[in-house]
Amino acid sequence: MAQGTLMALIAAYSLFPIYFITVQSLKTPQEDVFGSPLWVTDPSFENYTELFEGAKARPRGFVILPRVPFLDWLANSALVLAGSLAVTLAAAVLAAYALGRLQPPGWRWWRRALFATYVVPHTILFVPLYQVIIRLGLDDSHGALVLIYSTMALPFCVWILSAYYQHLPREIEEAALIEGASPATAFVRIVLPMSRNVLIAAALFTVGTVGNDFMLASIFLLDPTKQTVAAGLGVMDVSLEELVTVAGVNLAAIPVAAACAVFARGYVRGLTAAMVEGA
Amino acid sequence: MAQVVMKDLNKKYDEVHAVKDVNLHVRDKEFIVLVGPSGCGKSTTLRMVAGLEEITAGEIAIGDRVVNDLPPKDRDIAMVFQNYALYPHMTVYDNMAFGLKMRKFPKAEILKRVQDAAEILGIQELLKRKPRQLSGGQRQRVAVGRAIVRHPQVFLFDEPLSNLDAKLRVQMRVELKRLHDRLETTAIYVTHDQVEAMTLGDRVVVMKDGWVQQVGEPLELYGRPSNRFVAGFIGSPAMNFVDVGISEANGAVWIETQGLRLKAAADRTDRLRPYKGQKVTLGIRPEDIRLASGSDTPDRTFESVVEVVEPLGSEILLDMKIASAQMVARVEPTVRVKVHEPIKMAINTDRLHFFDLKSEAAI
Amino acid sequence: MAPALVLVLGVLAYPVGWEVWVSLTDFSTRLDGPPSFVGLANYLALGREPEFWHALTVTVAYFVLTTGLKLAIGTAMAVALAGPFRGRALVFLAVFLPWAYPGSVTVIAWFWMLNPPLLTSYAVAMGGVKHAFDGLFGTGAWAFLSVALFNVWRGASFTAVFLLAGLNALPTELFDYARLETRNAWQRFLAVTLPLLRPYLALAVFLSFTTAFADLANVWMLTGGRIVFPVLGTQAYWLGIRNGQFAEAAARSLSLVPLLVLALVVLFRWFDPPRERAA
Ligand SMILES: Nc1ncnc2c1ncn2[C@@H]1O[C@H](COP(=O)(O)OP(=O)(O)O)[C@@H](O)[C@H]1O
Ligand SMILES: [Mg+2]
Repeated sequence: MAQGTLMALIAAYSLFPIYFITVQSLKTPQEDVFGSPLWVTDPSFENYTELFEGAKARPRGFVILPRVPFLDWLANSALVLAGSLAVTLAAAVLAAYALGRLQPPGWRWWRRALFATYVVPHTILFVPLYQVIIRLGLDDSHGALVLIYSTMALPFCVWILSAYYQHLPREIEEAALIEGASPATAFVRIVLPMSRNVLIAAALFTVGTVGNDFMLASIFLLDPTKQTVAAGLGVMDVSLEELVTVAGVNLAAIPVAAACAVFARGYVRGLTAAMVEGA
Repeated sequence: MAQVVMKDLNKKYDEVHAVKDVNLHVRDKEFIVLVGPSGCGKSTTLRMVAGLEEITAGEIAIGDRVVNDLPPKDRDIAMVFQNYALYPHMTVYDNMAFGLKMRKFPKAEILKRVQDAAEILGIQELLKRKPRQLSGGQRQRVAVGRAIVRHPQVFLFDEPLSNLDAKLRVQMRVELKRLHDRLETTAIYVTHDQVEAMTLGDRVVVMKDGWVQQVGEPLELYGRPSNRFVAGFIGSPAMNFVDVGISEANGAVWIETQGLRLKAAADRTDRLRPYKGQKVTLGIRPEDIRLASGSDTPDRTFESVVEVVEPLGSEILLDMKIASAQMVARVEPTVRVKVHEPIKMAINTDRLHFFDLKSEAAI
Repeated sequence: MAPALVLVLGVLAYPVGWEVWVSLTDFSTRLDGPPSFVGLANYLALGREPEFWHALTVTVAYFVLTTGLKLAIGTAMAVALAGPFRGRALVFLAVFLPWAYPGSVTVIAWFWMLNPPLLTSYAVAMGGVKHAFDGLFGTGAWAFLSVALFNVWRGASFTAVFLLAGLNALPTELFDYARLETRNAWQRFLAVTLPLLRPYLALAVFLSFTTAFADLANVWMLTGGRIVFPVLGTQAYWLGIRNGQFAEAAARSLSLVPLLVLALVVLFRWFDPPRERAA
């Protein structure tokens, strides 16, 4: 019983803010002002449908509300997410395999160097970062975000994958080599499928990294049609008062959260696989 | 079907010289076993044959081809590993079929071969399972099955039974032997277990510190070990060793140490005579020490005290000392002796082994 | 390995190098002509500045507080989730969500909960709390708390799932044996669980660092600077981006480096100890 209570508390603590914001997003403007913050008596999807009305401003009550190209934003977000996933996973798998399996001299130090970048706050680096982006010709482009998100997710992904490869019995690949596979085939047909859960863990971590960012997106993407959902919010100073935008991010969050829920088990398994030594 | 020839084979890692000048001719259809203590270079040798380790110096030929520069997949070999090395994400069927698929065999042929192999090994029921749903013994069978479906020229085994429990190990040992008789494929088998080596090998190669110590049929190694290391390594319980002095008196050669004075058998005297006045190492197999009876003359007996009795059922082991050296005697199960009591033992002097104190070579 | 290293080090090395160099010059948009080298002058100036020391204290306090809480709550939730019980999968999902749910949504949720923007009875009540709190601990304390709470909420979720994976990776025999050797669960936790989790705890600290920085900046940007308390990052941003005093800003950012290096050395000791060579 005590355990049940504890679990209920943990769940409530974890879910409350999400519940809270969802409740707000379902409110009509009247209820928003006069209702209770904790529940909604007259749920309406007005805020959500509003999002898809197109990008022209129109009056609502006494104020002119800016409207947003929400569908563009959604598509951009999906694009940036997909790009970051592809770049991060490809680079991480190769780097991790090289570090964890081939173990070139000083590989531990390379891995540490990668990890050490985590204590360098990206947030204080945006001036020079911006210069890099401009030099690469990526300003106001999704490529900039893909690049930066990938550098943020990579060290962790490389760490879990290389820890996994480090302890993966060599004999499994060797068996494939003897059975007639080339090293590349052995990697694709044997090593990659085996690391499925670890790859899921790496992918979800990347999703979390991308999903959490807000600042970088709003700094590096200025053109409204190119913005991601998060970046779009950033430029709207009024956004905090606006139920519509809350509905917007909440909507965008649903597929992400759903994907995380589906793969949650694989995520834990993957992390565990990376942590088991000598397995 | 092929012979394997290793010529002056060497392997050096950065600090370790793991394999030194190995010369070995594995005949067609032969089952040869590499045995030696852990770290002696057996696996390294085998892995060079497989193509998994670069050859530092020397040459390996499989059949008539020198394979030094061939990648593993072109050597037409199959290998079974100690940890089975099954692909965890594939079913047993796919595990066994993988090599055939890589070689683009037609589907029907793959199916037939996998089923045949599964039948031979009695794993037909397991084909749809994943490796993690199998017991250790079953995994071992799958690993063997994966090796035999391709009908390779040579089988390589690296301690394939070491992860199994004792009973299963004995059972699989017999099955492997039977399988080899049936398939008649050349096999190189690595183990640290001398019993496995003796029971499986047509010939056995004993290695130590990267050197080959002796190559021979099992009974030859047991009866005529070429040096002290082989003598001590082959046989269980191990041969007893004690340093003795050699002297000559009354036309016979005598072997002496504190509490022991034996007359050398006539066929050894010539070889021992040069060591007169020097010390050599005497080796006695446990079964060559027995309880003395009335007819045993003093020149083949000694007195000692039994320190430990190990009744194994089919035999009894007695632990005692000669001079300060520990001795084990293997006696009939009917013998009854008490611990800590004085006892008189006799030695089969015509089955003694002698080794040079320095070179450790057999005399 | 090459692609990942190029990506991470390329994208990060240049900005870091730029920061270091700039911090040694008098680079500023307010000055004409090329920047000149001034050595350590910027750093010396910092040392004389009381606001700097205040900001440094707040920054360090923020890290220590959030990281400590994340580890404590995360470990507690991980241990609670480790045993089997009914509904475990659901509670697990609940614990997983704060991290998986995109930060742009949940940050608004926290902002609305603690700093309600609209004038409602709830907002008035929270406003009262805020004033009382600020009165007690100084201006900005409530803001500090808001950001810290948000960061801890998300970070503890990640830490919990991460440590749960770590617990799964530990051999169960160890815990069985510990049962024979220890008297109660608490002792077992201290003597066995905690030391075994140490490498993963160290890793979690790394990630805590980044997210602590990132969340700070996220909140700050999202609220248009409304949630503000002096930390080095925001001071640097203010000076650099708003005032163009890049040199001072860089020096300010880099003043944390010695502390970060110290943290790195300790953490690497813990999570990647020099291991015995495999035989
Ligand atoms: N990859 C390697 N790098 C360095 N030394 C190795 C490597 N593999 C094996 N060795 C060394 O070579 C020697 C022989 O090893 P191995 O052939 O595995 O012995 P075993 O007879 O037990 O199979 C050992 O001393 C071992 O430490
Ligand atoms: Mg070996």
